[in-house]
Amino acid sequence: MPRSLAVVPHLVRMYVRTRMEYRGAMLLAWFAQALSYAATYTAIALLLLRFGNLGGWDWSEMALLLSFHLLAYSIGASLSFTQFRNIEEQVRLGTFDAVLIKPVSPWVYLVFSGLNIGYAGHIILAVGLMAWAVTQVAVDWSVLTALYFLASLISAAMVTAAIMTMIGATALVWVRSKHLFSIFFGFWELARYPLNIFPVPLQILMLTVAPLGFLAFVPVAVTLGKPVPLLGDWALFGSLAAGPLAVTLGALHWRHCIRNYQGAGG
Amino acid sequence: MRAAAYPAFALTAFQSRLVYRNQVWASAFGDLVSIFARVAIWTALFAGASQVDGITLPEMVTYSLLAGPLLYWEYSRVLYDVGDAVRTGDVAVFLLKPLHYPSYLLSTHFGHFAFECVAIVLPVGLIVGFTVGLLPPASPFHGLMFFAYWAVSWLILFTLACLCGLLAFWLLTAFSLEWFLMAIMSLFSGAIIPLWFLPAPLATAFGYMPFAWISYYPSAVYLGKLDVAATWAHLGIGLVWLAVLTAAVLALWAKARHRLIVQGG
Repeated sequence: MPRSLAVVPHLVRMYVRTRMEYRGAMLLAWFAQALSYAATYTAIALLLLRFGNLGGWDWSEMALLLSFHLLAYSIGASLSFTQFRNIEEQVRLGTFDAVLIKPVSPWVYLVFSGLNIGYAGHIILAVGLMAWAVTQVAVDWSVLTALYFLASLISAAMVTAAIMTMIGATALVWVRSKHLFSIFFGFWELARYPLNIFPVPLQILMLTVAPLGFLAFVPVAVTLGKPVPLLGDWALFGSLAAGPLAVTLGALHWRHCIRNYQGAGG
Repeated sequence: MRAAAYPAFALTAFQSRLVYRNQVWASAFGDLVSIFARVAIWTALFAGASQVDGITLPEMVTYSLLAGPLLYWEYSRVLYDVGDAVRTGDVAVFLLKPLHYPSYLLSTHFGHFAFECVAIVLPVGLIVGFTVGLLPPASPFHGLMFFAYWAVSWLILFTLACLCGLLAFWLLTAFSLEWFLMAIMSLFSGAIIPLWFLPAPLATAFGYMPFAWISYYPSAVYLGKLDVAATWAHLGIGLVWLAVLTAAVLALWAKARHRLIVQGG
């Protein structure tokens, strides 16, 4: 493990340097992605301008929810999305075998040799919107509240990275798993709205097998002092425990899939 | 190449999608989740009101299905096809073949769209129809005109995606262009928010842009929100936009193929 960790800075430096070779394209991508999210958020803001609130959430509260959703997702996805989306191709072509024989943990190698700095545009937009929203919402900020907010953000990012690891790992056994990302992003889109507006079966799904309710709604609702359906007073504990629990399950699934990997390429 | 050969590309694209059945289930599930989410969002926004600005909740449910999966189809595939062809150098192969590349893209992506309609949108529509309920067209006239608007909508979105895709000849990447187009569509096409719920000055400005013919006008016609004269007039304006965009695609293609830099080998 220490040897794995020692190589991390080198892997990251190498990948960042390759991305910086195409600086113009990279900056354009950051701007385009931030613009796209900003356009969607503007559409949501215009809706709230007309209707006043969505399930009891006004625009400043929604802005906090949206920024938390984007920031937690970006941090988690920069460690996992493109890396584990591409596993399917590596398995099909047989190039994943080369990852297995490297003298570092395959997970560490995959994650850090592809650490996606392309999420910078997401993060800049999310931090900007969040900085505005925290000054607008009716929250009595204290050190404890701020610590909870930060811890739940890390937990939410862990949920994202763990789910993406699990989807990617599935390709080691099924060969194909890219389609599971479509399902992930279906729930991911729902996670940017208050959970209380959805039917109960969907709420249950979002807090259990597709736990993206913990990506933004649960922590932000706890911060704002809003009721959390199904979890009630357990929401605070649940939002902090969701990340470590998802990572544990993700690690178990990853190990299971690595053990059962037989290859598909030739 | 004879024009009769192009339908074969559409058929091949349709058949190629049959191979990836898991993708079909996943996409249908994703669309279904997305539609039920939109229904929940509109239900929450209406908050028990029978109508808002003369629009009822059942109308918004129907609007969500039409403006979403049916009219706002998976156009990013066009951009990635062109972007990948430029990046890998495969576009040179298309230039050697006796075919017109934009027409090839048109027929191929029509095949993909037809497949998605049959395998994804239709089942999703049936499930939504039987569970939540969908409204029929406002009148036989509006129902018939919807098909004309649908064709214009599809072609306008295709030409916009094609225009962005062809810009990859200069930028050598289609990635950013897809996100730019997505930004425009989110706000201006009516796929997320119909123009009738926007502040009047914005609705007026957005209503003249070509993007409004992608999701907003076809859905508004289906629901009978445009009278007979307005329906014909807006169809005419939509056709003018389509002609302008088609001319832009042809002009850009004429320029692009003369400045091709093949990256792959």
